[in-house]
Amino acid sequence: MSYREHTDQNLVRLCLKTDERAARELVERFERPVFSLVYRMVRDRELAEDLTQEVFVRTFNNLQRYDRSYKFSSWLFKIAYNLTVDHLRKKQVKTISMHGSPDAVTPERQEATSLSLESDEDSPDAMVEARELAGYLEEAIAVLRPEYRTAILLRHVEGRPYDEIADIMGVPLGTVKTYIFRARRELRDLLEDRRDDGDEE
Amino acid sequence: MNENNQARARHLQAEELETLAFPGDHRLPARSSAHAAECDRCRRDIEELQTLHSLLQALTPLQPVVGFSDRVMQRVRLPLPWRVRVLQAVRRHQVATAAAFAGAAAAVGVGLTWIARYPELTPMTIAAFLVQRSTAFLWSGVMEVGRLVYGSGILETAQGVAGQVTPVSAFVAVATVTLIGLASFRILLSLMEIDPALVSSHLRLRRRVRG
Repeated sequence: MSYREHTDQNLVRLCLKTDERAARELVERFERPVFSLVYRMVRDRELAEDLTQEVFVRTFNNLQRYDRSYKFSSWLFKIAYNLTVDHLRKKQVKTISMHGSPDAVTPERQEATSLSLESDEDSPDAMVEARELAGYLEEAIAVLRPEYRTAILLRHVEGRPYDEIADIMGVPLGTVKTYIFRARRELRDLLEDRRDDGDEE
Repeated sequence: MNENNQARARHLQAEELETLAFPGDHRLPARSSAHAAECDRCRRDIEELQTLHSLLQALTPLQPVVGFSDRVMQRVRLPLPWRVRVLQAVRRHQVATAAAFAGAAAAVGVGLTWIARYPELTPMTIAAFLVQRSTAFLWSGVMEVGRLVYGSGILETAQGVAGQVTPVSAFVAVATVTLIGLASFRILLSLMEIDPALVSSHLRLRRRVRG
């Protein structure tokens, strides 16, 4: 049986028997979703990579404390969320720019810390349109409060259920519902404003 | 207005809208679906929700640089099973382990020889003897400590010392305690198999985050 076919729980069990290939499989399985979440929270590629690396190191170093009745991915996202929010609190970053790190002061640094948005669309027009729309949406997400941002990304991008998001964020279920409701409303308003600006131009 | 009409008259709540937008395993009462079919505002809300969901789902998944997992794996230290940890400790302290084994073997040998000299002893009498002796030993230990604390003037001595504390002696005491603390922390890290470099890299990251 290849490692790709194992469940997360099985891989954790193998990691506890010091199986490095199992650990690598878990890293490869979750590096994209964890990095995506962390990057969308901090908007700095280098910092997001450092934080994501720290998330995995903390996860594996504390694996013996992992409660197996809990979903592994939830535990991983919880560590990622806590670490990132901790960072944002210390930096006191409320809203962030889509165009590279908030610390980037030169165009080169902005280029180095930002991500390019890609699209799978074939037609050049559709590609430009999709990129523009994705860009607006990324900008709108970046303006949301960190709690709203996390909740909406976990719900709609990662497809996590409400109760799991509540576990990850360590808040009551009702609070998560409020976060997501407000985040959707703010995103809708921001996208509408953007569309109105575009129409006027 | 009956209950059905009331439900149909009010606009749908956030959760109801979501259930109608992404049905999945959940189903709403027929009256809520009927309201959505008749109410332009709720229908528009459902469509907006579906559009926002599709837009968010279509966001490009972001990926760290190539070789990211290798870098992570270089820093990861998987917890070792207790058997491996014991074996490693034995390998590290071979002389001490050999001495402990020899001591244990000698104790067992002496005990077995002693038991063999008294064939009338049964496991029950041996157990009762051991319990009685160990209880007596513990009790006498507690009594000794009590006598030492209350009878030997340690408390009075401590009060006398407290009255003679100078800045220099306080500094020496604090420095000694700090050194012992740091040494204990280092020993604790090695016992828990935590690489001190990991702690310093974590502190560096914290400094960077704060900076």
